[in-house]
Amino acid sequence: MSLNPEMIEKIVLQVLQEMGGPKPSAPAASKETAGPGAMVLEEIGEARPGTRSDEVVVGLSPVFGIKFHKNITGIPLSAILREILAGIEEEGIHARVIRVKHTSDLAFVAHRAAKLSGSGVAIGIQSRGTTVIHQKDLAPLNNLELFPQAPLLDLPTYRAIGRNAAKYAKGEATNPVPVRNDQMARPKFQAIAAVIHIKETKGVVPGAPPVELRVKLEK
Amino acid sequence: MAVPKKRSKRFEVLEQRPVNLDGLVSEWPEEGLIAMENPFDPKPSIRIAAGKVVELDGKPREQFDVVEQFIADYAIDTASAEQSMTMDSREIACRWVDFNVPREEVIQIFRGLTPGKILDVLSHMNVLEMMMAMTKMRSRKVPGNQAHATNLRDNPVLLAADSAEAAFRGFMEIETTVGISRYAPFNALSILVGSQTGRGGVLTQDALEESVELALGMRGLTAYAETVSVYGTEKVFVDGDDTPWSKAFLASAYASRGIKIRYTSGTGSEVQMGYAESKSMLYLETRCVMVTRGAGVQGLQNGSISCIGVPGAVPSGIRAVLAENLISVTLDLEVASGNDQTFSHSDIRRTARMLMQMIPGTDLIFSGFGGVPNYDNMFAGSNFDIEDMDDYLVLQRDLKLEGGVRPVSEGDVVAIRNKAARALQAVFAELGFPPISDDEVEAATFAHGSKDVPERRVTDDLKAAQDLMKRGITGLDVVKALAKRGFDDIARNILGMLKLRISGDYLQTAAWVDADFRVWSAVNDPNDYHGPGTGYRLSEERWKLLKEIPQAKRPELIGE
Amino acid sequence: MKELDIDKIVREVIRQIGEGTPPQAKSETAYASAAKSADRLDPKKDYPLAEKRPELLHTATGKRMEDVTLEAVMAGKVEPLDVRITPETLRMQAEIAEGVGRKQLGFNLRRAAELSAVPDERLLEMYNALRPHRSTKLELLAMAEELETKYKAKICSAFVQEAAEVYERRGLLRSE
Repeated sequence: MSLNPEMIEKIVLQVLQEMGGPKPSAPAASKETAGPGAMVLEEIGEARPGTRSDEVVVGLSPVFGIKFHKNITGIPLSAILREILAGIEEEGIHARVIRVKHTSDLAFVAHRAAKLSGSGVAIGIQSRGTTVIHQKDLAPLNNLELFPQAPLLDLPTYRAIGRNAAKYAKGEATNPVPVRNDQMARPKFQAIAAVIHIKETKGVVPGAPPVELRVKLEK
Repeated sequence: MAVPKKRSKRFEVLEQRPVNLDGLVSEWPEEGLIAMENPFDPKPSIRIAAGKVVELDGKPREQFDVVEQFIADYAIDTASAEQSMTMDSREIACRWVDFNVPREEVIQIFRGLTPGKILDVLSHMNVLEMMMAMTKMRSRKVPGNQAHATNLRDNPVLLAADSAEAAFRGFMEIETTVGISRYAPFNALSILVGSQTGRGGVLTQDALEESVELALGMRGLTAYAETVSVYGTEKVFVDGDDTPWSKAFLASAYASRGIKIRYTSGTGSEVQMGYAESKSMLYLETRCVMVTRGAGVQGLQNGSISCIGVPGAVPSGIRAVLAENLISVTLDLEVASGNDQTFSHSDIRRTARMLMQMIPGTDLIFSGFGGVPNYDNMFAGSNFDIEDMDDYLVLQRDLKLEGGVRPVSEGDVVAIRNKAARALQAVFAELGFPPISDDEVEAATFAHGSKDVPERRVTDDLKAAQDLMKRGITGLDVVKALAKRGFDDIARNILGMLKLRISGDYLQTAAWVDADFRVWSAVNDPNDYHGPGTGYRLSEERWKLLKEIPQAKRPELIGE
Repeated sequence: MKELDIDKIVREVIRQIGEGTPPQAKSETAYASAAKSADRLDPKKDYPLAEKRPELLHTATGKRMEDVTLEAVMAGKVEPLDVRITPETLRMQAEIAEGVGRKQLGFNLRRAAELSAVPDERLLEMYNALRPHRSTKLELLAMAEELETKYKAKICSAFVQEAAEVYERRGLLRSE
């Protein structure tokens, strides 16, 4: 994905504005009101281990859709979640969404989700858009597929990630989603990503259990 | 940020310059988004009772987290601490820079310093002074360099060819990693065969999840490990799924199998992971260097590494990066000094950043230099890649400096790449892995990157790579396979790599291995710099090699 | 192709034989005592060992470095144990590190010498057990006990006990 300088400046400005802004309080449900494709994430109690083997759990980071509504390149988080869920369902697999609150670290968000997944497979995603496909029997810092460069992830890629997670859940031989690589994403985005992550981490509630979410995505 | 309605043509031109694509940010000291000299950094202090550190940089022992306790108990020399800590910081800085003060004397002072004191000393120094100190404090006399060999598709044939070329160009070490984790055994195998085709003795590693990496090392498919990460705060250490104790145990586990190891850390990782505890990046990095020393690991890869975009975005960040390299060598460690990740769109910035290590020389100036085009670099791109190679060679020549690589001819490179690809083809055939076709060998021989080679059947390769682990294949099987197919010289070199473990000589600080499998380290090749004309100097022979670049026109032939 | 198994068996045999020493294990003891009785190694004179003191070196089955050749490999006379470092060699390298003032590196190599007796798989398990939130205090203490009694790894045993204490104080033990 190529980004023009104006777009980057907008993001920087937004981040810098937020840096000086008021601290957010975490509501039980977050509603994205701006524009089409809004998203409601309603907490419906502590997340339980899944009983069906045909499910993939999607683990969201602490303030995904609460403090942040767009990923690092400005893609609405609602659109990202919609594509991931669609990808999973396309393969005939059930998707369940939870929010992990005790950590903002992607590997541990995903690994926790995987442990709760009936199939053992989960997707973890952070507010900045970084995503991983995880499996409960792997070491936390290992993974099935990792997409570390959030600025390179577009909506079709998020859909493909959903599809692949579903295939792993079915135990199918799966071709990994082609890994994209832009060596200039780091100088462009890393410090900004760090600022987003600092803010995400401020939303961590130590010791809090993951919660089940009811997701409403408006078209 | 206010832009006037009518734009200045000059500012419009400046706006288009590559440097303005870099995502620079201002400091945020409360969150640790600051390179060094943070007013929130702990003030230096130490108290020792009954031979134990009971207070460190203002914090009492009962409150030590795992990082602080490990540093206090393993990294600080309690016998000299109180004396070192009372020395004036500027006076320590002067001795650090002054080449009349022997390296050993400075090492002795720093054995007793806390992180807070080390930062206070550094606050007196500019980058020139730090480079002077680096020239003296590096533990081994000869500087060196490391290359990356990776590609977007984890194509094994291309990996073998690229690592052969990198070894041939003079890199002491080659590092690979994976796009897809399950390819790991093949990547390790490919660069082992490739590197030992290019030059015997080149050390190789495969950067992976810690326990997987150790398992490959045990098989003799890699010679060393580098991406064993340590962090400066307890929270981030634990998020990294380790503690100083587990990491120190891991270090001993590697050594117990005769495998060389260095840790990895770098400014910016803690703030990047969201838990910098209001401390500057360099303060936390100093703790990482001390954890490394405490664990008894011979060396450290630092210089921000994968987080370079963070110190690179804030004021004095590149100065802090040089400072962390300098702290490493001053705590008597080998340093693989970064320059291994893209950090700027600006050629001017990325060169200036690199000169901080190239001019004084470090154990491994890059860790590593992209041996492949950046689009294929699975460490997300290096500060310099293979397309910058001629620039780098000319810089060596301009400055009469050792940069760790030598000019090569196209014919030699093509030949060595071809041999490595054929050798891997033979190993795959012998071990029953998915075949490598002659077309693939031909493509890898002449390729620049993975766009130039045919795609392989990834699922078959992945299955075979897992099979390699299940069947218990070791380096010895690779030796046998090569010898059976007539590649005796490469087989001997790989056996030479395995035999390094019998003597363990390369476990000493800053060790590398030459083409005759002789080990050179800080023990038998110590840095003896004490002013102009001393320390490492290019020999006549080496200088002749470095200055003779094929592009230079010979005066006697011009106009003839 | 099951070389790891062979490896394990050879190791197990060497361990169990004790007094009734086979030729290879005999030479192991001989070299160990040779290294012990020699004067402390001098980093300036004795390093690199492969070059300066090859007579002190041997493989885990008692071979000399010069015996590990390509020809020997092809003749099936070299096993993975032959390219594995021995505890005696690790202690010699520790001595050299200490001789040039690198106390911590020496200590690490001494821990390593102890761990060379632990089989690959168990060693990986032990490392994983030391990672945060993986073990209870009792499990870590049991591991320390195992290191001490089964592998005579005194330093490592104390190191794991220390970790158990620190983990308890910092809440890094596994919570059920």
